[in-house]
Amino acid sequence: MANVEAEAVDFEPEEDDLMDEDIGDGGASSPNRGANVPRLKSAITGGLSSSAPKKTKGRGFRGEASAEAERNARMSGRFDTLDSDGGPGPERSIEGWIILVTGVHEEAQEDDLQNSFGEFGEIKNLHLNLDRRTGFVKGYALIEYENFEEAQKAINEMDGTELLTQAITVDWAFSKDHLAVNVLEVLGGDSDVVGSFGRILWLSI
Amino acid sequence: MADGEENDEFYLRYYVGHKGKFGHEFLEFEFRPDGKLRYANNSNYKNDTMIRKEVFVTPAVLKECRRIVSDSEIMKEDDNNWPEPDRVGRQELEIVMGNEHISFTTSKIGSLMDVQTSKDPEGLRIFYYLVQDLKCFVFSLISLHFKIKPI
Repeated sequence: MANVEAEAVDFEPEEDDLMDEDIGDGGASSPNRGANVPRLKSAITGGLSSSAPKKTKGRGFRGEASAEAERNARMSGRFDTLDSDGGPGPERSIEGWIILVTGVHEEAQEDDLQNSFGEFGEIKNLHLNLDRRTGFVKGYALIEYENFEEAQKAINEMDGTELLTQAITVDWAFSKDHLAVNVLEVLGGDSDVVGSFGRILWLSI
Repeated sequence: MADGEENDEFYLRYYVGHKGKFGHEFLEFEFRPDGKLRYANNSNYKNDTMIRKEVFVTPAVLKECRRIVSDSEIMKEDDNNWPEPDRVGRQELEIVMGNEHISFTTSKIGSLMDVQTSKDPEGLRIFYYLVQDLKCFVFSLISLHFKIKPI
């Protein structure tokens, strides 16, 4: 199911009376909701959930109407996206293709990633973020290649291998389409759904 | 192929903002269960308008976000002894992970000093660093995908 959304438009947030734009959103929202869009909180979990009720905690549940009304106003309206020809599959970023590496050793350095991943193509961008408390590598890296083929090759050859004696996973970062998520009671409980990239995703909401 | 933990719901939303001379300035992002990452940054300072971006991230990205959250152990904390939001500002962190749903609110945290002098330094410290780590992750994703400087 393609997620077709227009390019950015100018807008004034205050004038945005629209409900959350899920109405145009592939499969992420219930067709039964229509114009009667519940609060985002309950839209995600309560009310539509077919799983056990959640244990809740925190002052945010005090139900401050003004805070919630403001949140709905902030989250409604149009958000910019990059043009896409519809899903499924990985999505190209504005100048290249971005992959996510996880399981990165905490002492890894950018050079280690350059050495391992540079053979598939020129690395246009590399983000190896640090844990803000410890100063060690947080555990993930984002790598950008110019071409799809380079990125795909990096994924195929590096996923499941070891970097600095620690196993890493490598996959695409961005997708053209939403996950196949069972958000609706109408789907009658949990079901196996085929997600992007041919994997079986099984998420129940 | 289904992994018990990965099949649980995951949702995360973070907001920080205040209202002042330059209007309602805020930063907000959310990871939705269907993979949509939404990012918004608003300021009327020097008549800036709002930045609003959204993109679908892959299950790999959601899984890493979950890991960051669960490593922090924020789900064990509680905000009842944290400073309440005030005129200086407000932070909100809402996370659904498995069968737990937290929704914490607190004031802005200027520095570690604010954390250390609070009534719950341990918990607030966890929040403080988690928020920074999440921002790093989201800013990297957004800036790489859209080639903008998100802040």
